[in-house]
Amino acid sequence: MIQILIKRLSGLTVWLFPLGAAANSRFPRPQFDSGHTVPQATHPAFEALVPAWADVLILAVALGISVWLVRRVRSRRWILALSVACLAWFGFVKHGCICPVGSVQNVAVAAWSGGGLPWFVAALFALPLLTALLFGRVFCGAVCPLGALQDLFIVKPQRMPRALDAVLRLIPLVVLSVGLVYAVNGAGYLICRADPFVGFFRRSAPLPMLLTGMAVLLVGLVVARPYCRYFCPYGVLLEGCARLAWKRVDVTGRDCINCRLCAGTCPVDAIAVPRAALSDAARVRQFRRFVVMLALVPLLIAGCAGAGWLSGAFVAKAHPDVVLVNRLTAATAADEDLYPEIEAFKRTGQSRAWAEARAADTVERFRKGCAGAGAFIGLVMALRLLGLTRLQRRSLHEADRLRCVACGRCFAACPKNRE
Amino acid sequence: MNEKVGQVTRRNAVAWLLRAGAGAGVAAFAALAARRPAGDRMVWQLDPRKCIQCGRCETACVLQPSAVKCVHGYVMCGYCKLCFGYFKPDAARLDEAAENQTCPTGAIRRQFVEDPYFEYHIDEPLCTACGLCVKGCTNFGNGSLYLQVRHDRCVNCNTCRIAETCPSQAFTRVPASQPYLLKEKLV
Repeated sequence: MIQILIKRLSGLTVWLFPLGAAANSRFPRPQFDSGHTVPQATHPAFEALVPAWADVLILAVALGISVWLVRRVRSRRWILALSVACLAWFGFVKHGCICPVGSVQNVAVAAWSGGGLPWFVAALFALPLLTALLFGRVFCGAVCPLGALQDLFIVKPQRMPRALDAVLRLIPLVVLSVGLVYAVNGAGYLICRADPFVGFFRRSAPLPMLLTGMAVLLVGLVVARPYCRYFCPYGVLLEGCARLAWKRVDVTGRDCINCRLCAGTCPVDAIAVPRAALSDAARVRQFRRFVVMLALVPLLIAGCAGAGWLSGAFVAKAHPDVVLVNRLTAATAADEDLYPEIEAFKRTGQSRAWAEARAADTVERFRKGCAGAGAFIGLVMALRLLGLTRLQRRSLHEADRLRCVACGRCFAACPKNRE
Repeated sequence: MNEKVGQVTRRNAVAWLLRAGAGAGVAAFAALAARRPAGDRMVWQLDPRKCIQCGRCETACVLQPSAVKCVHGYVMCGYCKLCFGYFKPDAARLDEAAENQTCPTGAIRRQFVEDPYFEYHIDEPLCTACGLCVKGCTNFGNGSLYLQVRHDRCVNCNTCRIAETCPSQAFTRVPASQPYLLKEKLV
């Protein structure tokens, strides 16, 4: 036995040579006298639940049914039933991946870097947006499992103060743009990491993710659909498409009698109330505001882009290149084997200067990306501010194209629908 | 403010133009992204040649226990009696007692073949992918024990949590038709 031990310890010297080259010849496979045969290891194949085309087809059919329920059947109960079915299928059966919300990153990475992208991911990304161009955000109401889950937790929705709402509605812009900067620069998929509910779908998650998910659902008891309204990055794109929607969600197929019942029942404050025509003096004031804000637009864009540039180095801290350099800086000779990044780096045989140059390059890319993200956020902020000065008059209650998620609660509330 | 019929038509036309433009934009963006189609599906796998056995596969996976497991490439194995994947470096005796084993869960089964050879099997349900045995086997043995994402367990997240934290960036997407990077076939 001691002989064997000595023989094995001589392996230590082998280890000092580059691995790989020597690795599989250290102890040759024995010839067995007993005729023992070497077993074959088995590896379970990847089995998709349904083929890719079926995934796309199911999403398309679900979107189609959703449009039909919202526009023709106009029944909250059936929309709820569809949303529960979609929650079960896309969420608990398919474990939430890959969903249109997360596919934004796959599509952006593939478009940016030219890497491969399975066609069905592109289809999952595009279908809800194209539907939103025609019929508004029907995806959010009944098809999206994240939305469906939150919808079940709406108990006593409160009206959000307008100022708070306006500020919180900036968060999705940040999540989308920073998430894309992360993804295309190879720092991982931030949007997927920040998904609070996917742990429920997999029925297995790290504790912080479960707690966050529960907290979001608890907040959702009083602030309806907090993730959809104040976090969802795909919602930004859906809003953009819903702005141009061919048909908005009609609260009633008949004539509105301005009873305000729909506004009271809408959990996401999406009912636009009538607005009287402005007096001439008010129109002039409003026009002056418009001009002032128009002058502010470049300032806003430049300011946000500058803030993005400054935050670039901070955002880049999640990138592995930058993590490595931070580890190298933090580690002393005594504790550097605590950091696997350093061990992995040593095996590459590169110099520290090389790693630092690479990290500096990455930070530079993040600066540019974040400046772009800032400019985008600034532009959207400016457009929203300009939107405040619109002179449009409205005589009836109607669903706001941007905010309405087609949950259908107002259908039941409208007295004209009961006739 | 009665809108004239002509105005309405112009408005509609502009709206449809915008709508068509946006639709074409979305479709073109998706098509641009998918210009190089990546087959049917891609799944996650780790390259055992890059793996440094840091132990994060055990802790970072969204599944508990991890979807990564140790696998054994039998054809690479030396059938050693003193297996550095099986025994702790400071093992008092070379027997099956728990205190002598590297594996914290006792997931490696040792089977006598003939003197002085033993065959080692992974009891997969017990394996937590801590990589301790892999480290021993890679550093001092043939490296026939290595980690792989098991596709009967992996839920194929859009972004793999282990991939994001892997210090040697050993995780890659591979075609679902060939979902393993088996060391005995790679080396």
